[in-house]
Amino acid sequence: MKFHWFAEASYPQLPADFRESKLSSWVDTPKRLADPHVVGEMCRMFIRLMQQADRDGYDGLAVNEHHQTPFAVTPSPNLLASALAHTTERAAILIIGDSLALYNPPTRVAEEMAWIDCLSQGRVIAGFVFGTPMDSVFAYGMPPVELRDRFEEARLLILKSWAEQEPFAFNGRFNKLRYVNLWPKPIQPKFPIWVPGSGSVETWDLTIDNDYCYGHLSFSGLHAAKPMVDAYWDYVARRGGDPNPHRMAFTQILCVANTDAEAEATYSEAVKYFYRNRYVNPAFEGPPGYRSTKSVQAIMGHRKIAESSVSAEDRAKAAAGELDFWEYDRLGYIIAGSPERVRQRVRELCVDLRIGQLIACLHVGNLSEEAGEMNTRLFGREVMPHLRDLWIEHEDRWTPQGIAEIAAKAARGAAA
Amino acid sequence: MFLHGYDTHPGEAGFLARLAAGRRVIAPEHPGYGESSAAGPLHDIVDQVLHYRLMVEQWVGGPVDVVGHCLGGMIAAEFAALCPHLTRRLVLVDSYGLWLDDMPLPDPFVIRPADLLAAKFADSADAAKVPAPVMGNHAAATRFLWPIPERGLSRRLPFVQAPTLVLHGAQDGLIPVAYAEALAAGIAGAQCMVLPGAGHFPMIEAEDAFVAAVEGFLDAG
Repeated sequence: MKFHWFAEASYPQLPADFRESKLSSWVDTPKRLADPHVVGEMCRMFIRLMQQADRDGYDGLAVNEHHQTPFAVTPSPNLLASALAHTTERAAILIIGDSLALYNPPTRVAEEMAWIDCLSQGRVIAGFVFGTPMDSVFAYGMPPVELRDRFEEARLLILKSWAEQEPFAFNGRFNKLRYVNLWPKPIQPKFPIWVPGSGSVETWDLTIDNDYCYGHLSFSGLHAAKPMVDAYWDYVARRGGDPNPHRMAFTQILCVANTDAEAEATYSEAVKYFYRNRYVNPAFEGPPGYRSTKSVQAIMGHRKIAESSVSAEDRAKAAAGELDFWEYDRLGYIIAGSPERVRQRVRELCVDLRIGQLIACLHVGNLSEEAGEMNTRLFGREVMPHLRDLWIEHEDRWTPQGIAEIAAKAARGAAA
Repeated sequence: MFLHGYDTHPGEAGFLARLAAGRRVIAPEHPGYGESSAAGPLHDIVDQVLHYRLMVEQWVGGPVDVVGHCLGGMIAAEFAALCPHLTRRLVLVDSYGLWLDDMPLPDPFVIRPADLLAAKFADSADAAKVPAPVMGNHAAATRFLWPIPERGLSRRLPFVQAPTLVLHGAQDGLIPVAYAEALAAGIAGAQCMVLPGAGHFPMIEAEDAFVAAVEGFLDAG
């Protein structure tokens, strides 16, 4: 069982009436709301928290890519990954991931990941993403029907540029390069590769065909995720894929404190801030052609199952930041409380969904740095060590070899 | 040959039946739309034009009058520029294809439903006269309209040799009349006619005037 520290780098000072203003928090959010000094301080805080996570024994430090949104001010995950590669020592640098279709040419991704792999002494996990519709087809203007073709061409180009030892020509539909010859070359002979998705069947095929780790990255709670994750595992079984839990990553917001009461007092406002301020113009979330008809139908099916366990009213309140703190917990949007309680709930979650890679969200919304430090420390020191026995019988081929050795040593210690 | 707009093929619309009363009308459904096969290897606007060139060569074997509406107008103008030997007369109706920096078009994929209705129709009740798009149509449209509905047509307009009529609904909120004027200005000798009482679909909202204008223009040649 692996644990990766993660936070959406949410802009922490949106006005109190942001939700009521009905402004979209993605694509066309007015820039007048942004103070660059606040962004700078926020970035420094995240670097400090992730450096702490490295010391507290986390297996990975996860960084992601979003554009034109206060929900996550991380336009280039490679920049943050680079800062971490230089100032941390043991955790994997989990880039989850670069939006392949948006780099021109995509060898930029191959070069930067290779460079960070050198800088970090071989700790990079290469994540490839399609990007949300808001990021890829609106902020970066990619025609939705071209996105998968562009992603696939970029993926093949990047893999070849890592693998080939001699210069080669690449004559793609979107990329024409006469001389591909990567400097630097990565330390790892073969990167572990992760591909996050939101339920598209085509992405499942991609991860199964190539033995990638699939990531279900959403904040809609356990009940929304469960039908989709169950369907994923069914699909893996039908396709004869490897059912190893380590090939499944899952995001979960965690709120750990010394007592349940302290958890509520510490995290309640930040959780509500996080959900309240994520309102996206629906037109930006569902552009035509972004998903295939097959995937739209499958996703609607999962949603229907999920809707039978959480009422429409609760879903609307959750999305508006209006649920009671412990209701968020009960419905699986967050896991909160004392280390004992969190241990038990996380174990249930990981067993129930068959998750071997937990992307632990330990900072959320406008949480203070002090609270983020406590959350990171308590989860890292008082929760993680008690869960290291999970899935120990399965080999983890989806984290860098060096990191796996460190974790295996920790697991043997816990078992003894 | 009539080439339809970004939403959907108009089906057995009155204006098509009336035009077909006095002449043969071919009104294909674009690749990727409705019952048509997927766009597949048709990657760009040139591929799309060659697709229709093949259709005209095989079905007609000589020059045709080309009438295009909206997205279909964009393709029709490209067809006329690239296949002058197959284009007898050209009619562009509320057409995409240009981009004027000082008059940015609304985004048809993001505009709020109420605003879209107001932009499309002079009288919102006329919306019922146009078939609703089926799933997949707009995805196919994004190949030419996303993120900006412009693929270099302005560079090729001077190559249009066919006599050209640019028709436009006076109240089109998706594509303002200035775009029709710019299209006409780019094609030597083109006439521009604005039809009152119509939005983006003058052939629906001002059917009589539309049919009279198109027939008058085609029959004059």
